[in-house]
Amino acid sequence: MMTQKKALLVAAVLLMAFSFGTIAEGAEFPKAKQIRMVVPYGAGGGVDISTRILATHAQDILGQRIDVVCMPAAGGQEGINFVLQQPRDGYTLLVTDYGPLVTTALTEEVNYDLTDWVPLVQITEVVPTFFVLSESPLKDVADWVKTAKDKPESLTVAHGRHLSVPHLPLILFEKTAGLKNTHVPTTGGSEALAFVLGKKVDVGASVPSTIASTVKAGTVRPLAVCSLERVATLPETPTMKELGYDVVLPAWYTVFAPKGVPEETLRVLEEKFIEALNSDGAKEMAAKSNVLLTPYGRDKTAGLYEGTISSLKTILSDVTK
Amino acid sequence: MDGLIMQILEGAFALPVILYTTVGIFLGITVGAIPGLSGDMAIALLLPLTYKVSPAAALGMLMGIYKGSMFGGSISAISFGVPGTPAAAATVEDGYPAKLGGHPKQAMLTALYSSVTGDLISTLLLVFVAVPMAKAALHFGPVEFFALYVFALMMISLLVVGEMKKGIAAAAIGLFIGTIGMDPMMGSIRLTFGISSLRGGIPLIPLLVGVFAVSELMIQFGKECSARSEKRVAEDAAKAAELTDYDPTKDRMSLKIYWSTFKATLIGSGMGTFIGALPGAGSSLAAYMSYGLARKMSRRPEEFGKGTLEGVAAPEAGNSATAGASLIPLFAFGIPGSATAALFGAALIMQGINPGPMMIEENKVIIYTLFVIIIYATFINLFLSYGLIPLYAKLARIKACYLVPTVFALALLGTFASRNSLFDVWVLLAAGVLGIYLRKNEFPLGPLVLGFIVGPGAEKALRQALLMGRGEWTFLLKSPIALSFYALCILSLLLIHFSVKKKLVEED
Repeated sequence: MMTQKKALLVAAVLLMAFSFGTIAEGAEFPKAKQIRMVVPYGAGGGVDISTRILATHAQDILGQRIDVVCMPAAGGQEGINFVLQQPRDGYTLLVTDYGPLVTTALTEEVNYDLTDWVPLVQITEVVPTFFVLSESPLKDVADWVKTAKDKPESLTVAHGRHLSVPHLPLILFEKTAGLKNTHVPTTGGSEALAFVLGKKVDVGASVPSTIASTVKAGTVRPLAVCSLERVATLPETPTMKELGYDVVLPAWYTVFAPKGVPEETLRVLEEKFIEALNSDGAKEMAAKSNVLLTPYGRDKTAGLYEGTISSLKTILSDVTK
Repeated sequence: MDGLIMQILEGAFALPVILYTTVGIFLGITVGAIPGLSGDMAIALLLPLTYKVSPAAALGMLMGIYKGSMFGGSISAISFGVPGTPAAAATVEDGYPAKLGGHPKQAMLTALYSSVTGDLISTLLLVFVAVPMAKAALHFGPVEFFALYVFALMMISLLVVGEMKKGIAAAAIGLFIGTIGMDPMMGSIRLTFGISSLRGGIPLIPLLVGVFAVSELMIQFGKECSARSEKRVAEDAAKAAELTDYDPTKDRMSLKIYWSTFKATLIGSGMGTFIGALPGAGSSLAAYMSYGLARKMSRRPEEFGKGTLEGVAAPEAGNSATAGASLIPLFAFGIPGSATAALFGAALIMQGINPGPMMIEENKVIIYTLFVIIIYATFINLFLSYGLIPLYAKLARIKACYLVPTVFALALLGTFASRNSLFDVWVLLAAGVLGIYLRKNEFPLGPLVLGFIVGPGAEKALRQALLMGRGEWTFLLKSPIALSFYALCILSLLLIHFSVKKKLVEED
């Protein structure tokens, strides 16, 4: 009798265990497994750091572990394709700026369509900034425009890689102001800064965090930023828009889900990510890392995504001509 | 002032700080010794952790990893002829022959002592003359960099041990592999044959680990397995017996040996500090240039490539000297000189310290604390590595049938982990096959790696220079620094010409 009871008990326990198993299987998002946020850049870069700020704080709020996975191979395309190959269940997300996702898609053949992505939450925004050495004869953008118009292509401008985040606003600015400079591509903002400091080029294009400390020391003078409003870290620097040039091209770092993720999952992710980015912990960590959080939800982010695609199309159509 | 000093010392010698630094060094030596895993990777992985500990502890640990990995790479280079890190590739040239010649301990200790010496010299330079050195480094624009790279390619002629033409062919293969992928200026895609994974170019770590490690492992494994090459097995058995007979009394390290390699160590330290302070040149280049220069300036250049300890000391001092030096441009201008310095910069930023000219002024206590840590970390590295060497030296005597698959698995894993890319694993295997072919036909591998490292940098510098000079080639000669590099090139060409001629006359 006893043994029968025991057997029943065991069976019941097993059944319960299995049923928990099934609950876990079809569990409400995000109970099933850990979430992966794929970054198409190497560890330690701007996108990676921003992603880690979000991941660290979102995992407590979501109640699920979040792994940040850096996949920089093939110029980031490997990471992007990896996200597309995973099940569309919201457990694999992409965090990127527009470079590998949009610019590459508009200039080369890629395995996806720009409409295959749902922009979820914007983490932060970086603003392309033009700068010169303090002792440069170019005091402001007006000087730059005048010199470049008097002698086209006489000024050299070092930016990051070809068609990178600081390079596209330069092209847009030249188009808007009707001038021409000699472009010198570099491997990134630090090389551009080194060239400006070493008097190898006249103007540099990068982002505020690259030049912040040299600006503070008074060795470098920022000329203008390419955002709608002034940048908090460079309050003295005018925007191109203020100066009368419609050059607004900030780069967002945004979380994307591939198309096909259930609506309910997207809603949970958006809500929890925004909550995480608004938490005190995230704000503190962001302030330490020089990241200005701009937690925008799906509606606003989608608009920015569309806007970027259309401005990039215009700029690139001129370049590739 | 006294208060400040007390505060700095208290910060630097707090127990947790010392512990974190020691753990960092241990981790560094270990990842450095495993082919495919590099210090950069460990630093990148541990970066998020630095949010959670004090700045001194976090930075101490990261610096420890870098220092440890610079020496760690030489452990596998000497023990198995497989460089643990890209920076240790040059150490293989003489380290492995030295081990085969029955002096593994001398080779390792020489590597350690010169590593520590190089590291210490460049760290002291960082602490005391960072700003003027960084100012000098800023004079290096594209024109000067191109001249430096031309000089580096000339160095290949100094590296080649066997036939010169084979060395040049190997360098050409390296240059060619470097052109695959996006071009450094306009982003056009070259030689990818439509394979989208190739658009980012051939990655350095898989290529290097493949050419050096996988090929060596496959050859060793082939010897082990092949029944046809019984003669070889017998040879190997004889060699193994030799190693079991290994006589520790003949392999003692002494101060005399250290002094005998001191000149090479100094050459390496100088070269490493110089290359390290230049943004973007890197520790592998520093190691090769140190090796080449030490060989040229040695009294017994013919010993190089056959296991001379000078050939171990120079590249090891060279790569370790980049540790402190690569922080010079970061600290002075906020310009990271290497991938590691960029990660280190990220860690500083996370701690609320902005690298740049104002950094020291704004963060006196923490920066000086960091300086103290960087200096004493050198000594922790010395003692820890000294203690670990007997352990690691034993690894070299494990039977190939156990060791080869283990190292192979680690190399595969490390390569995959560095970028989470399966494509990199295929590159590793393909590079392994290339490596076997080159080894079997006695092509030197060093020039290949040097060509691969220098090629893209040289192309970028040349094209930048031509853009700045509005397409005028004479612009390349408008810099005294560049001119002196070209003069050095011509001088070495003449030297080689005459030494070859002399040799031919002697042979006649």
